[in-house]
Amino acid sequence: MRRSKWVCGFVTAALAVLAAAAVAQTRRAHPVRTAARSEPSAQQIAAAKTYGVRTAPVTIEEFSDFECPACRELYMGTLRPLIDEYVAQGKVYLVHHDFPLPVHQYARSAALYANAAAAIGRFEPVERALFTRQPEWSASGRVRDVVAGALTAAEMKRVDALVKDPVVAAAVDHDVELGRQAGVQRTPTMFISFRGQRTPVVGVVSYDVLRRFLNSLLASR
Amino acid sequence: MRGRLLRAALLVLRLAVAAVLVYAGWVKLRQPPLLFALEVDSYQLLPSWAVLALAYALPWVELGLGLWLASGLAAAWSATAATLLLGTFFGVVLRTYLKGLEINCGCFGPSEPLTRWTVVRDGLLVVMALVTAAGAWWQRRRRAA
Repeated sequence: MRRSKWVCGFVTAALAVLAAAAVAQTRRAHPVRTAARSEPSAQQIAAAKTYGVRTAPVTIEEFSDFECPACRELYMGTLRPLIDEYVAQGKVYLVHHDFPLPVHQYARSAALYANAAAAIGRFEPVERALFTRQPEWSASGRVRDVVAGALTAAEMKRVDALVKDPVVAAAVDHDVELGRQAGVQRTPTMFISFRGQRTPVVGVVSYDVLRRFLNSLLASR
Repeated sequence: MRGRLLRAALLVLRLAVAAVLVYAGWVKLRQPPLLFALEVDSYQLLPSWAVLALAYALPWVELGLGLWLASGLAAAWSATAATLLLGTFFGVVLRTYLKGLEINCGCFGPSEPLTRWTVVRDGLLVVMALVTAAGAWWQRRRRAA
């Protein structure tokens, strides 16, 4: 009887230790899963800053600075209609690269927010808001307010956490390095790739002229 | 002796301006006209239809004018036309530079950034064309006298 009490006590203690170990293991595992979800790779961020399908016949890479007025003009007047027409039809794959210029005080901050938004799959509304409301935040420096206006409170909470993440900063730095390697000196600079040929186009071009150029490329397929 | 030297200098100057025009036209003709149109468009000066018309016509105008200038036929007129064309280019390049537009020049093919050196170079070309034109008119007047 006394012996069986000892056995029961030992089994209970062993079970308690096992249960505690399991709980501890679960607690350890949980943050790892959360970290994996909230810390995307630079490649994932880069992929989230693209429009259209990778297999499109024409690829346009755009190196842009959110605080540059010419970049805003190119985005509003040319790239938006391009996204709505050529990207939507699978003819063009548009890739956004950040190239914040040191002369623009808030450009890097805007790029960090845009990349943090890309990390949660919300690049497009943030890009649109940053360019649309550029005159406002480039004067006041209140980049976060503009970004918050384009996202839900829950999304903004995640973006606020990600904007300080070194992975997000690395994604911006990677874009800048890509631009330097490609010889980008000014923004906006586009590289139009078709059949292995990469053509640089610097500055703002109208949608009408770009459309004709793209049509000439697509017609030669 | 002095007159002969002056005539030789004017001939060299005329041929130099002609060579620049022929080269500029030839380089543009080697690239797709619509690519050149994108470069013209980036100056943000003309409506789309004028951009397209200019992109197709300008290389031939430059080539034709360069060959005309090199031929020496009605040299005073060809040099005057070259001065007007290069003067227009200079005005456009200077305006773009002063406006701070950071674009490619498109003067001698793609990927040539428009910098202060572009302005200086174009200004120098205008001076060369102007001297050529003035010399050609002076020679023409002397022959007529």
